[in-house]
Amino acid sequence: MRVIIFTWEFPPRIVGELSRYVNRLAVELVRRKIDTHVVTYHDSWTGYHKGIDGVKAYRVSNPITAQLNIITWDLTLNKEIERTAASIYYKTKRKVDLIDAHDWHFIPAAVNLKKAFDIPFIFSVDSLENQRSHGSSAPINLSIKSIEWLGAHEAERIVVKSERMRQEVNRIYKVRDKKISVVSPYASGWIDEILESYRKALKGASKSLA
Amino acid sequence: MNRSFRVVILSWEFPPRIVGGIAPHVYNLSRDLVRRGIDTYVVTCDFPGAREYEEIDGVHVFRADSYTSPSPDFATWVYLMNINMEKESAALIRRLDGQINLIHAHDWLVANSAIGLKHIFRVPLVATIHSTEIGRRNGLYTNYERMIHQTETRLTHEAWKVICCSQYMTSHVEWAFGLPKDKIITIPNGVDAGAFSKKFNGDKVRSRYARADEKIVLFVGRLVHEKGVHVLIGAMPEVLARVNAKFVIVGNGYMKDPLIGQVHRMGLGHKACFTGFIDDQTLKLLYSCADVCVVPSLYEPFGITALEAMAAHVPVVVSDVGGLSEIIEHDKTGVKVYPDNSNSLAWGITRVLLDPDYADWVKTNAYNKVSKKYTWKKIGKRTKTLYRRVYHEYRSGPWKPA
Repeated sequence: MRVIIFTWEFPPRIVGELSRYVNRLAVELVRRKIDTHVVTYHDSWTGYHKGIDGVKAYRVSNPITAQLNIITWDLTLNKEIERTAASIYYKTKRKVDLIDAHDWHFIPAAVNLKKAFDIPFIFSVDSLENQRSHGSSAPINLSIKSIEWLGAHEAERIVVKSERMRQEVNRIYKVRDKKISVVSPYASGWIDEILESYRKALKGASKSLA
Repeated sequence: MNRSFRVVILSWEFPPRIVGGIAPHVYNLSRDLVRRGIDTYVVTCDFPGAREYEEIDGVHVFRADSYTSPSPDFATWVYLMNINMEKESAALIRRLDGQINLIHAHDWLVANSAIGLKHIFRVPLVATIHSTEIGRRNGLYTNYERMIHQTETRLTHEAWKVICCSQYMTSHVEWAFGLPKDKIITIPNGVDAGAFSKKFNGDKVRSRYARADEKIVLFVGRLVHEKGVHVLIGAMPEVLARVNAKFVIVGNGYMKDPLIGQVHRMGLGHKACFTGFIDDQTLKLLYSCADVCVVPSLYEPFGITALEAMAAHVPVVVSDVGGLSEIIEHDKTGVKVYPDNSNSLAWGITRVLLDPDYADWVKTNAYNKVSKKYTWKKIGKRTKTLYRRVYHEYRSGPWKPA
């Protein structure tokens, strides 16, 4: 199986706890013989790098340096994410099984790649804008929520880290429970549950391995 | 290649959604491309009452959700709207099995979609730059303007070729984005001359805007600083000292109230008429009864209103700037005056109004020029040639979907 992971933070760039979690996930996936490509953002350390743990990382920066807010920064950066993911797709002879997009940042790229190549994607939720902004309905927060909404509805599956988050996703984005997997990253056997959610996503999209 | 050449055109406006000059441009261009056997798809923004998909004169038009939730500002909305535009375009291209030859983007408003689709499908991109942020603002002063400028820069860098609609814009774009000369192709804008040259009975419209003994001096355009309407108003006393005329000013903009104030302070309120926005049909009737049409711009990438007036057999007086300098030959197809100079403008207007034989000479030459040189047929032909050339270069290169 070949998976592309989208994340806006990945070591050495650490903003919150997502960075270390995605790293742990990628390393575990490689151990399970999954060809794992991480596409992420870094300002200066750009390009391809394969770690000793076997994780293939691609770091891109945003060519547009003048920005107004996180939305304009994010949506222009998405072009570079798309370019990199498409390169992986073509280099692997169109054999990418799944995209695992962590949080909202690169949902637009995941949606476009799904429309273009029929690659299903998983929306892995670490946190939601509604919680981060304390329910704010300012235009900037609504914009982020609209991207989360797009991700929740276009994704083949949603993976959350707690029962509480399942309820939140269900409440805010009106997604049926069956579509959501709860995987606590600290429970034993969590990686098997992640793999199970990947398999469910492929099955849901009526896909066998590419 | 057994099927016909296939292009996907991205534009944020397409009739009935008309914001500025891009909508009529893309409308006329796409129809002509279809007549030339090109399979043409337009992806644009939705509009109340317009269908999500329709075929217009053979053009496949798709309208994407234009993102109507609140956004922090216009530029942020543009990028949010592009999420939907790119998503719909990607789905469309997939339905066509990825079999498209080229993507054609119009201005920075669709840059994000165009760049994303180019890399996802690995097809060449052509961009038309209708105007630039640095030109519109006469410099870059805020982050907002810099971001748009950088997006325009990125679009032109990602494009295989860039189309500009005048020599002036070509050299401006070359300078503004640091492009090599041979990357920019000049294809002049066009006008549907037939639609303006029909003989109308404009008497009824005429009486709505002017008295029978008044000559009509017509201005058409957005009422913004760079269009120079204040220069035209400054020319009123000098013109009125020699000719009885009414200055009819068509259009809206943030300068409207200051301009009306300017006229009233001069005591000439009865000699000017601000019509606001008027519909296409009334505009054509108004052209048909105008005695002179004035384009007093300070900045003008092309100057489409000059072409419309010329097509409508109205003599034109233009300031010698930008695209206008190229369209008009002084004393042959119009009168050129110094920009930002009311005395010079008054001289040009009275010259046309006081000498009917001269006015006839100028408008006849002008009509012959637009009906030959600035036709959509010519533009479609040159655009198709460019498409083929770009696709040929692309096909012989290594960058392709594997």
